[in-house]
Amino acid sequence: MNKAGIVSYGSYIPRYRIRIEEIAKIWDEDPNELRSQLQVASKSVLGPDEDVATMAVESARNAINRWKGDPQKIGAIYVGSESHPYAVKPTATIVAAAIDAEKELTAADLEFACKAGTAGMQMCLGLVKSNMISYGLAIGADDSQGRPRDPLEYTAGAGSSAFLIGTERVVAEIEGTYSVTSDMPDFWRREGAIFPSHGVRFTGKPAYFQHTVDASKGLLEELGTKPSDYDFATFHQPNTKFPLTVAKMLGFSSEQVEVSLICKDIGNAYSASSMLGLAQILNHANAGDKIFMTSYGSGAGSDAFSFEVTDEIEEVKTYPYNVDHYIQNSEFIDYGLYARYKGLLR
Amino acid sequence: MEPPKIWREKRERYLAIGIQCQDCKSKSFPKTSFCTKCSSSNITEYRLATSGKLLNFTKVTSTSKEMNSYAPFFVGIIELDDGIKVTGQIVDCKFEDLQDEMRVRMVFRVLARNGEEGLIRYGFKFTPE
Ligand SMILES: [Zn+2]
Repeated sequence: MNKAGIVSYGSYIPRYRIRIEEIAKIWDEDPNELRSQLQVASKSVLGPDEDVATMAVESARNAINRWKGDPQKIGAIYVGSESHPYAVKPTATIVAAAIDAEKELTAADLEFACKAGTAGMQMCLGLVKSNMISYGLAIGADDSQGRPRDPLEYTAGAGSSAFLIGTERVVAEIEGTYSVTSDMPDFWRREGAIFPSHGVRFTGKPAYFQHTVDASKGLLEELGTKPSDYDFATFHQPNTKFPLTVAKMLGFSSEQVEVSLICKDIGNAYSASSMLGLAQILNHANAGDKIFMTSYGSGAGSDAFSFEVTDEIEEVKTYPYNVDHYIQNSEFIDYGLYARYKGLLR
Repeated sequence: MEPPKIWREKRERYLAIGIQCQDCKSKSFPKTSFCTKCSSSNITEYRLATSGKLLNFTKVTSTSKEMNSYAPFFVGIIELDDGIKVTGQIVDCKFEDLQDEMRVRMVFRVLARNGEEGLIRYGFKFTPE
């Protein structure tokens, strides 16, 4: 059987940014302390005519254009998000129509806080490996919400990342994946509530760190690999400090993680976070490189993946609308415009 | 806007699909059931080029209630790289950034939201390339 893995990938980050200082000013908090605590300078903000569906479509189109293949061959589309525009009416159907992948395919929206996108990658991999489909598209997209003045307001950003999984012209083989899941009350949003709630300090140690470490160690053990075997590693980025800390706990160096640290510019892109990190790594990777990724979603769970980059990467690496393009194409806004774009003015 | 109309216009709005006449080969947008040049009904779907140049533009400050939350916004006539001219909004830029002949590309955006509970209408707009 052919190698199964990533055939193409595409990302999208909205243009607008707000600086930590601008938010801190409104609530009279110390921006320097926040910046050193979070190691985040700004976060991305959606324009008034954007939502998770538009971002998911843009990232999916970037994946298709990078691939140059026929979208009719896509047999599954999964969109992971905690901020789908409709409570009932799948985002995945909008994506399917907008990339001309209708109508013979399966599709669904997924929700698992910040890791629903990587859960979609696993589902696509299973379908591809069992020969049920030729290609599956897994998307992680979020327009995350933070209650004004809540610590989350400083980092709740937006973005989308799409990965096309298949067996033809694989750019990064998936060597293995390993997950852990447990019932954890660290972060939640009830049906109909606008803003999420969280367990404040509880979110770090037993939630993010324990799950990320358990899934990562589980995969390393299963594959018989060690951190030094990898050229790059990426972890979920709720801020910049957490992925650096968990990398150290696992024995990865900060150099292995550095390329993927996009949170400092765009904040926490939730479902898209670890996937944007992976996309950024692929833009900088060469044939033969090994990549390690572990996502984390509150509630809680982690999906760990091991990839090996193939020669095919050279064909797709130079596609212009990549993570760096969107990071550079930015416009800083003040809190007033931010409040309008976020729909805080009613 | 009613659900049947949104559904009917989906391919046109999402994928920028017009028609090409199989008799006289002329292309047109939006979709019609006959050729706009020779009236032939021997037509096929045609997907428009996804980039082009801005021919002229204006700022819309007051508009329908449905669109008011997006105003002011910018509307332009774009000549696509296949020669077809379309009207569309230009987003992710400031009015002073807009120039005649500037290169733009298609993006997928919300066209309008029907209040807090109604359908969301999606389609193409343009952004500086
Ligand atoms: Zn004709």
